[in-house]
Amino acid sequence: MLRQTPPTFHFHKVGDWQWVTDHRGYFWTLSRTHLYIALVAVLIGFLVALPLGVLAVRVPRTNPPILAVTTILYALPSLAVFAFLVGITGLTNNTVILPLAAYALAILVRSVTNGLNNVAEEVRISATAMGYGPLRRLVSVELPAAVPVIIAGLRVTTVASISLVTVGSLIGIGGLGQLFIAGENTDFITEILAGVVIVAFWAFLLDGLLLLSGRLLAPWARVSS
Amino acid sequence: MITFDHVSKRYDDGTLAVDDLSLECATGEITVLVGSSGCGKTTSLRMINRLVEPTSGTVSIDGTDVRSSDPARLRRMIGYVIQQGGLFPHRTVIENIATVPRLLGTPRPQARQRAQELMDLVGLPSSMAKRYPYQLSGGQQQRVGVARALAADPPLLLMDEPFSAVDPVVRKELQQELLNLQSQLGKTIVFVTHDIDEAVRLGDRIAVMQVGGKLVQFDTPERVLARPANAFVESFLGLDRGIKWLSFFPAKELPLRLPATIGPASGPVDVHRVAAAAASEWVLAVDGDRRPLGWLEAAALNGASSGTVDLGSLRSIGHAFSPATDSLRAALDALVLSPAGLAVGVDSGGALVGVANQDDINNAIQTAAADS
Repeated sequence: MLRQTPPTFHFHKVGDWQWVTDHRGYFWTLSRTHLYIALVAVLIGFLVALPLGVLAVRVPRTNPPILAVTTILYALPSLAVFAFLVGITGLTNNTVILPLAAYALAILVRSVTNGLNNVAEEVRISATAMGYGPLRRLVSVELPAAVPVIIAGLRVTTVASISLVTVGSLIGIGGLGQLFIAGENTDFITEILAGVVIVAFWAFLLDGLLLLSGRLLAPWARVSS
Repeated sequence: MITFDHVSKRYDDGTLAVDDLSLECATGEITVLVGSSGCGKTTSLRMINRLVEPTSGTVSIDGTDVRSSDPARLRRMIGYVIQQGGLFPHRTVIENIATVPRLLGTPRPQARQRAQELMDLVGLPSSMAKRYPYQLSGGQQQRVGVARALAADPPLLLMDEPFSAVDPVVRKELQQELLNLQSQLGKTIVFVTHDIDEAVRLGDRIAVMQVGGKLVQFDTPERVLARPANAFVESFLGLDRGIKWLSFFPAKELPLRLPATIGPASGPVDVHRVAAAAASEWVLAVDGDRRPLGWLEAAALNGASSGTVDLGSLRSIGHAFSPATDSLRAALDALVLSPAGLAVGVDSGGALVGVANQDDINNAIQTAAADS
């Protein structure tokens, strides 16, 4: 397909700083939707991953099916899933949130199982020998000891999720991806660059916040998450 | 008292970990289960606090079958120390120690105060209270492990190779501290180790176990060393079994004689005179406080005849032993290391008490062996 865009139609030059400052409010609106979608997806993924990961460790025969199913979820191409979900959830944020939650789940289940399996055998045995019941041991000893590994998983999924929300813009769901689409359609590089920079900014910021919260939650961890 | 009555444990895969074990661990004593890996000693220990359930037979504490108690409640009454401490990595030293009191419902301030007392008891400075386990040395971690096990003042203490991951010097220190603690606290302790020296050092009684979970000998360490029940025990005790055994006999019965000595600023002439008078080849040089400095061989001084003896020509005494507190083992070792073939005994101030030769020590060993 040939696209003819005569140079005279260029209203903007590359790196139009004026345009950027004029659209701060718009960026903020897009950012809010973007972060809402990305973070709700991670939250849902985490809330499902936690019990599933615990189950996979506690009941060893549930481990292979849980890991297999979550791996398949991770292998689904996002655009195909969006297109499929539009038929069910319509053109809502949920259409993007659900597949992203599934991706987060796939990674976080592994973080939870790795985190729990990383707890030294001596720690588990001494907790039991001191009189912890199974549930109390999980809540007071094993999960806290697994925090650094779980936080590491949350960092990966949060950054991935923030980046993946942009794909949702291809089906018209809000978020900073809209800047890519609009910029592409009007051949306006500034708008695309603004989108990239803002997405990267949020990804860095949230990664940093998670890193910090990991340091606060697990000051004892020798290797930072 | 902990009683094992015909206890066996067979795992699902068919391995027999413990084979018909009957054993009584006396109240207030340290019972050591010793044997090579796979002999069922840890499995036996874990049947006491129900980390492992026996396939047959019963384990009872003061006559009550442990299976009649709720496992979690039972375990809070039994201290447990594991290799490398098994400390909770996410809790500080003081929180680790306060674990069992907190589980028992002691309010936090009291539990912490108790933990503080235990830090003192095991020799941890209170400045370490807020450290995390990874910030401690291996020896300190073990101390925390012991303090944590003692926090609720349980009458029983189970220790599973608690000192095997620390270096030999620290291990010896921790063993001595455990003995000191035990002399204050009088707990009933069951201690698992694969190290026969540790067993001999700590145990009031030792149970030697053989691969396949069989108890082959249960007796005081002294009698196990003197009369091993079979060839396995004998080889497990090693080729220095006789030497180890000597550590149970005090050296104070050993008759000591005064050697030929010279004081400070003596010359070769004095050495020859003293040596001739004592009809001895060797003369012990001592300082003004009669502390031994080293041996001189009279024959080696023939060339020189004037001036004072060169201290550089002294031969080291090896090490001295203390007749009041050491064992025949220390005396024998002093003999082996002495160039003069004489073990040098000193008092607590390091001053010469007397020496013993090989015949003296032999006779003492014979007498001790006959009496035991």
